[in-house]
Amino acid sequence: MSGTRLEDQVWGLLNESLTLYGDSPRASRWLQHHLQRFEEPLRIAITGPPQAGKSTLVNAIVGEGVAPVEVDGAADAFVWYQDGAQPRAALHSAHESVHDVPVSRLDRWLHLDPPPGTPEDLNEIVVDWPTRTLRHTILIDTPAVGASNTATPAGQSIMDRVAREADAVLYLARRAPGTELNALRLAPETPVSRFAPVNTILVLSRADEVGGGRVDALLAAKQIARRHRRDVRMRALCQNVIAVAGLMAEAGRTMREPQYAALAPLAAIERSQLDELLLSTDRFLGASDTVATLAVRQDLLNRLGIVGVRLATTLIRQGCGDLGALASQLMRRSGLAELRESIRQLFVERRGLLKARSALLALEFVLGAEPRPGSDRLAAELERTVAGAHEFRELRLMAALRSGRTRLPSALETEAQRLIGMEGTDVSTRLAADEQATGAQLWTLGTQALDRWLEHAENPLFSHAQQGAARTVVRSCEGMLAELAG
Amino acid sequence: MVPLWLDVLDDTIRACAAQSRADLVHQLQQKRAQLLDPKLRVLVVGEAGQGKSQLINAMLNAPVCAVGDDSTTTVPSVIQHADAPCAALVTGPTAVPDRDAAATERVAVPIEQLASGVSGAGKFHRAEIGIPRELLTAGLVLIDTPGLDAGWATGGGLDAAWVGHTDAVLLVSDANRLLSDVELAFLAYAVRTCPQVIVALSKIDIATQWRRTAEQNRERLADAGIPATVIPVSATLRLRAARTNDRKLNAESGFPELVARLQHDLRTKSESLAPHTARTIAGTVVEQLCVPLRARRFALDGALVSGAASELSEAQRQLDDLRRLSTRWQNSLSDQISDLSSDIEHDLRDRTRRIMRRVDEVFDAADPGAVWETFRPWLEENLVEAAEANFGWLVDRSNWIAEKIAASFPGYRHSIIPESTFQIGHDLFDGVADLERPNIGRFTFTQKVYTGLRGSYGGVVMFGLATSLAGLPLINVVSLGAGALFGGKSLKDEGESRLLRRQGLAKAAVQRHVEDFFLSFSKDCKDVTRQVQRKLRDHFAALAEDLQESILESARTAKQVADRDLSERDRHDRELQRELEDLRRLHDRANALAVVPATTTKAVAA
Repeated sequence: MSGTRLEDQVWGLLNESLTLYGDSPRASRWLQHHLQRFEEPLRIAITGPPQAGKSTLVNAIVGEGVAPVEVDGAADAFVWYQDGAQPRAALHSAHESVHDVPVSRLDRWLHLDPPPGTPEDLNEIVVDWPTRTLRHTILIDTPAVGASNTATPAGQSIMDRVAREADAVLYLARRAPGTELNALRLAPETPVSRFAPVNTILVLSRADEVGGGRVDALLAAKQIARRHRRDVRMRALCQNVIAVAGLMAEAGRTMREPQYAALAPLAAIERSQLDELLLSTDRFLGASDTVATLAVRQDLLNRLGIVGVRLATTLIRQGCGDLGALASQLMRRSGLAELRESIRQLFVERRGLLKARSALLALEFVLGAEPRPGSDRLAAELERTVAGAHEFRELRLMAALRSGRTRLPSALETEAQRLIGMEGTDVSTRLAADEQATGAQLWTLGTQALDRWLEHAENPLFSHAQQGAARTVVRSCEGMLAELAG
Repeated sequence: MVPLWLDVLDDTIRACAAQSRADLVHQLQQKRAQLLDPKLRVLVVGEAGQGKSQLINAMLNAPVCAVGDDSTTTVPSVIQHADAPCAALVTGPTAVPDRDAAATERVAVPIEQLASGVSGAGKFHRAEIGIPRELLTAGLVLIDTPGLDAGWATGGGLDAAWVGHTDAVLLVSDANRLLSDVELAFLAYAVRTCPQVIVALSKIDIATQWRRTAEQNRERLADAGIPATVIPVSATLRLRAARTNDRKLNAESGFPELVARLQHDLRTKSESLAPHTARTIAGTVVEQLCVPLRARRFALDGALVSGAASELSEAQRQLDDLRRLSTRWQNSLSDQISDLSSDIEHDLRDRTRRIMRRVDEVFDAADPGAVWETFRPWLEENLVEAAEANFGWLVDRSNWIAEKIAASFPGYRHSIIPESTFQIGHDLFDGVADLERPNIGRFTFTQKVYTGLRGSYGGVVMFGLATSLAGLPLINVVSLGAGALFGGKSLKDEGESRLLRRQGLAKAAVQRHVEDFFLSFSKDCKDVTRQVQRKLRDHFAALAEDLQESILESARTAKQVADRDLSERDRHDRELQRELEDLRRLHDRANALAVVPATTTKAVAA
């Protein structure tokens, strides 16, 4: 596909502007930073209102208890998690940096011992943590947005920083329609971000609490998420809505034998008695020490929540005989797998596109902030790149189809969405071919699709917008054929 | 006896009416009627999905409100006691039950239908549900509402007007999280009209650290100055307790405390809640009334400066200017006039002198006797010309002086010097004697003969004697020739000396005449100049007087206006002050209503 072409163009633009701004230290530092970032792994920010479960989700994705990071004076800091040879951290404030801070695991989160003399107002903590899951992505755990009790009064500035630092965003909220989404709705918009729309997945976290914590809460939450996914207003804000029970996902990935050992005897208690015991957190904590000590029960509650304990005991009773089975069941039900798949499809597979988007945003910022002779030409070049890149056109068509701005007959709409890569960007997914399909088969499918859509593009019954959509699909088909031929 | 709070409320209503705040009057009258009503209306509010409907269901132990996983409640439901379960959907001009609102349409529906969700939410404003419950018999009315933030999702959130129609607000908030800013903002708004606020922390059965959350919420409420009671509850436990008839579990659910609180409020509504509410709302309303009054008083202070006072000071300034001006123009006038008269005299002198020089030249060459007749008109003409030029200059200068002085007067009108000033009043040469012909004796023939003979005599004798020595007779050709020569010579000499004398005479005569003319005309000019000076002085003095008079007049008017304004302003100010004072007293009286020490409200600052 022409993906490399877009990346080349963006790379060229960045280098050109670096030459132009060579004498401005601020601008060239910024551009160099972005050149470097272009090569780095994808940055995914995890943000949302207070107590939405940001750190829990970080742990669930990493698969280890690494968040939150406990360090003094860092209420406002972005915490970066990246792959590294050994656990260590770097602390950055606005003016100075401290490197190689030892990191120790404290129960379920990380503890840092900053050396004396570390500045008080840290704004970035970069944690290197050896794990396979961070090989292709960098996770950024952000402070809560829109919370009056954090140091920054305006949640907007956090969203600004998120928009600047991250290539993609997981926005966490307890419920989809509501004030918790205000920060997302008010996210900054620039010409580039309009042309290359949303890079956000909305995560309905704490799905286990839906409906007062019934055992089927997760199913209900998934249904809610599905309904919101189809909602036009949600589509304008995010690319996908996914319900995740963060605590259960984390527990599923980080549960060890001691916890299983504590849960097993609980599950063995007679049903009615257990129901009574798990009726409320108070009852669970206030019970006698016959099956587990208070400390163990407290630990279980902290790790799983009362709903999680209920689910785990039910699962064990239903036959999850060992830790592995229980963990995988919890994982499956938590919705984490769905989230990871969505991250893969929407973020990781479109890494080049998202990187290009971030770089273009950065370039747009520099050109806007420091206009000078020659920057006009670059701005025009930037606009041409943004408007001309087929990937962005595909993204725009996706957004238009999702939001219902452009409508096609339903069968065509499904095919168009598939062909422009809404379900996945590799050729066989786009063409709905088998995994094992040969190149020749794909070629046949591709040419057939191309012919069909060429006709649609000329269909006199279609409106202008519909013909435009069909032309975009044609261009996608041509791109696929070019890729197959090459 | 009329309770004190009702008195205060009525006074507040009257104050609102006095300030033409019909909106507040309407609002307060409704509140008054509602406070007198023995029922206790409790508005159950909160963000969507906090378990408001479930809380009501659990409290009543009946599935009266629809409960679902996502924003389920779409219209407010008013739940009160009825002998048999009944339900109705209501449309009307306003969403809020309003006593005055007409054209309300009610559609009776089975109560089960409501419990499974209201359809056609856009059409109906509210549901009314009646169920037989002991808890409700005493007059408790519960109002279930859509989420505070539901407006975005469903197109119709909670109508703020409901807050004005309740006795108590019950905010339901999930115990899994702290109170959000939206909730705090809503409470801060609600306590201004409805001071009885309870925060129910729901879902404490699944919240791990609800005790800490409750504590932090209490702190946040206290920080925000909201006098709310925080009661942690669990609807799940309450419903289960009702099913299993488990008293202990019921106690654990936290509902007994909530119900007791509501019942206490209901019982003591007239003694405690009503005065308390009246006090808060009177305070709020009085503050609202004070704002425009204070603004008006503030505006009054600034108004005087821009009005009559500025006119007064302007008049004063003009008067000062005029006073400075009058000394200046008088000095300037006298200086200019003395310059003028010396200049004019010098000019006239110069002109006559030039004429005299011409006369001298003429009479050096010509014989006055021969040219006199042509000379006389020439002289007259030249003198008249000189006089006219001189006089014209005088007029020009005078006009220039007049203009120059006039220019220093503000608002000067042109052509103020009357033309008659420059009339000399008599003929130019009246005072001058006619140029008399000098006495020039004619050189008569007899005189010439005599002179010739006298001259020739000497020659004849002289040469006769000399030639007689040579023997010639005394009278001979030579002596006769010499006699003729001498005679001719003396005749010529005589003629020349006579001419010289005539010329001298003529010059002297002309000089005398010119001198006379000069004297007489320069006297006239001086007269005219003095006249001009007098006239200009009189004119400008009159002008200055006029100006002064008009300025004084305007100053007097301005002062009158200013005085009137001032007294008007004072009157207005006193009026506003009195009104503010009345409102302050009302506020004090409202504050004095605090009869229940248990539910103290943060006093609203005056």
